[in-house]
Amino acid sequence: MTIAIQDFSYAYPDGDWALRDLNLHIEQGEFLSIMGANGAGKSTLCLALNGIVPQATGGRIRGNVTVNELNTKRHPVATFSKQVGIVFQNPDSQLFSVSVEAEVAFGLENLGTPRDEMQERVDWALDLLKIEPLRYRSPSQLSGGERQRLAIASVLAMAPQILVLDEPSSNLDPSGKVELLTALHDLKNSAGLTIVMAEHDSELIAELSDRIAVLEDGRLARLEAPESLFSDVAGMHALGLGVPQVSEVAACLNQEHGTDLSLIRYQDAYQSMKHLN
Amino acid sequence: MAEIETQNVSFSYSEAGDVLRSVSLQIRRGEFVALIGQNGSGKTTLAKHLLGLLRPREGKVVIQGDDIRSKAVGEIARRVGYVFQNPDHQIFSATTREEIAYGPQNLQLQEAEIVDRTKHAMDRFNLTAHSERQPATLSHGIRRKVALASIYAMDPRIWILDEPTGGLDWRSTQETMALLHELNEAGKTIVLITHDMQIVAEHTERCIVMSEGQVVAHEATRTVMERSETLGITPPQAWKLGSALDLHPPPLTVEAFCRNYGEKLAAGRGISVGRS
Amino acid sequence: MSVAPDFYLAGPSWLHAADPRAKLLLLVLTVVLLLVFQNLWVMLAAWLLMLIVHRSAGVPKERIVFLLRALLPVTILMPLIWVIFYPAGEVIISIGFIDIHGESLAEGLTVALRIQAMTFAIFALLFTTDTDTLMQGLVRLKMPYSWGLMLSLALRYVPNFANSYSSVQQAQQARGLEYESTRGLKRVREMMPVLVPMIIGSFRSSEQMAIALEARGFGAPGVQRTYLNVIHMRAMDWAIVTVGLLAAVALLVLNIVYGFGSDLISIFP
Repeated sequence: MTIAIQDFSYAYPDGDWALRDLNLHIEQGEFLSIMGANGAGKSTLCLALNGIVPQATGGRIRGNVTVNELNTKRHPVATFSKQVGIVFQNPDSQLFSVSVEAEVAFGLENLGTPRDEMQERVDWALDLLKIEPLRYRSPSQLSGGERQRLAIASVLAMAPQILVLDEPSSNLDPSGKVELLTALHDLKNSAGLTIVMAEHDSELIAELSDRIAVLEDGRLARLEAPESLFSDVAGMHALGLGVPQVSEVAACLNQEHGTDLSLIRYQDAYQSMKHLN
Repeated sequence: MAEIETQNVSFSYSEAGDVLRSVSLQIRRGEFVALIGQNGSGKTTLAKHLLGLLRPREGKVVIQGDDIRSKAVGEIARRVGYVFQNPDHQIFSATTREEIAYGPQNLQLQEAEIVDRTKHAMDRFNLTAHSERQPATLSHGIRRKVALASIYAMDPRIWILDEPTGGLDWRSTQETMALLHELNEAGKTIVLITHDMQIVAEHTERCIVMSEGQVVAHEATRTVMERSETLGITPPQAWKLGSALDLHPPPLTVEAFCRNYGEKLAAGRGISVGRS
Repeated sequence: MSVAPDFYLAGPSWLHAADPRAKLLLLVLTVVLLLVFQNLWVMLAAWLLMLIVHRSAGVPKERIVFLLRALLPVTILMPLIWVIFYPAGEVIISIGFIDIHGESLAEGLTVALRIQAMTFAIFALLFTTDTDTLMQGLVRLKMPYSWGLMLSLALRYVPNFANSYSSVQQAQQARGLEYESTRGLKRVREMMPVLVPMIIGSFRSSEQMAIALEARGFGAPGVQRTYLNVIHMRAMDWAIVTVGLLAAVALLVLNIVYGFGSDLISIFP
């Protein structure tokens, strides 16, 4: 199960090219993060992965995006919704029901899932995101972190093979981010789920990603593993992007004091450095 | 005389209980202070009291020596600028220029002054090119700048900003913080509500920590970081790492880490610190 | 700080447990009967019956009082209009130079009671049925699903809209917004700084919602939508339906054939 993006360019109606000549292959089971300045095309890329771009958004398009051999221009979005689940930034715009359980079932109901299977999948998703105790609550009573997990559960209940998250931590406070990180860690370790996450928070990205794609003005500027990308602090800053603070520490020490450190996560940083004294 | 003072302010939205419980604090003129706490701790509620958007059930709010109880929000807005998190909550005009002029107009300044301030604000935020365009159609980053510019044009002595960097990319975050430093250096008092502890450590001198409607700490940023565990906040990576590696004092910034740790390394090697 | 998304308040009563379709039928029958009957005393009895239904469904006193208070202007206005503009019948009271004619007072009161009874009937449904169940009931009665979704989303977004109003209002106050007029066109113009961002915000939200709906398989072509909690008509529901229909038919017959309740004052003319 893969996504192949070939020579893909897209422009919104009345707009300039939001994505330009993208070539990217998303591997099964990988955790791919997408970084880029505001307006670089992260959200557009997310929407291109299940056909919403271009089918719901119109505009001009060149090249192809193929999900499991299916071209996103040629099949209804509903077909892709079974394979690619998208969680959006703002929980308020994607929660439709009066209870947590109903919300998780919503997508399955839309797809005409038989009742028994639905109940199983709902229970499974609630459990996976650890929101089973909230089953009968109204979404308006949930905290930011809980709402984000509810949105993820609602999408995962549809059993997609690919989960796409568009800036999931933007509206979360620190405790919400911790919940999100834990949930994504658990999901990463679930069999076969491929995860694509557009994000600004470099520390979150460092914790989870196998590869990072950096967009600049709609083009793919870099595609590397976190270790390699975050070591190039100057390069990232030039792209207008940040890196984990420990990476900045490593770069500074390497430059000023001749060390040879490559740090992207706090735990690894501590382990690496306690020997240096 | 404190620039901002609250005396035993208590407030609740409903019978559900007090969101602010007898909060007393003082902020001196020219301070750059962070206001932090979990969602629901009351920090936004407290901040809104400083503009008079909310009125305390008990206690008083004193701005620049004046009890604001009897003042209309419009009047307080001359002295206190409040930048909301979502620029789309305020953008409504047909052109960027009109949008930025709205605040000064409400302050009933002279026409010439309004034009002048609007132009100055647009220059400062690089919005002149968009002057005649409809702000609602511009990109999110630009809309944020328009919101900042519209408060900038009102030139308040006190600035309160609610999560100005949430969801912003790195470069925009740096630009925003640079703006705040510029304002602070010009003598403005800055109250920054944020969750980003890295920003707090790197840019603010004092912190007010709130929990469950009360101020649980109001100290130098360094002191707050030292008490981070009891206060339930997570310090930035440089601080955590520095503390774990026995750097004293623990570093608030990457540069400080580099310097202190570099000295330690050099001491370990028995050579003097300096670039090779 | 959020308001409940609908008027629903869970409870163990018979009315809560009843199938929404049965409740909808009762509501329709009630409204029809209320429109057919003209008699003041019948209307009073209907009004009392509605209150009894609410209490038997366990609706808290605060909510009933809330409705009564909300309806107070109408309840006072109707008799006033009738007494002033449609005087009829004998004068029963004279206050200064204002004569209050009996029949018009009765007429006005009847109208007021009818409005109250209808409101209570509708809220009997809304207080005891959550939006999803209600929509499913309508869909099973052959209403297109998309209409039901539109309705339930509209309801669900009412508190968001209210919050939006308050947020925008505060943001503009921070820029010196003050209202000078209190009513009319001038006030509407003054409210533009609040209305415009709210409207733009609504457009943005609905755009995002539309995309999110598509991403959740909404509108999948050729698919028969299923439901997690399927509603069933139980024996009790059929009993409610039967009793309701019988009572309605009986009352209608009494009214049409025997004139029961067709006159304003006398029950059996």
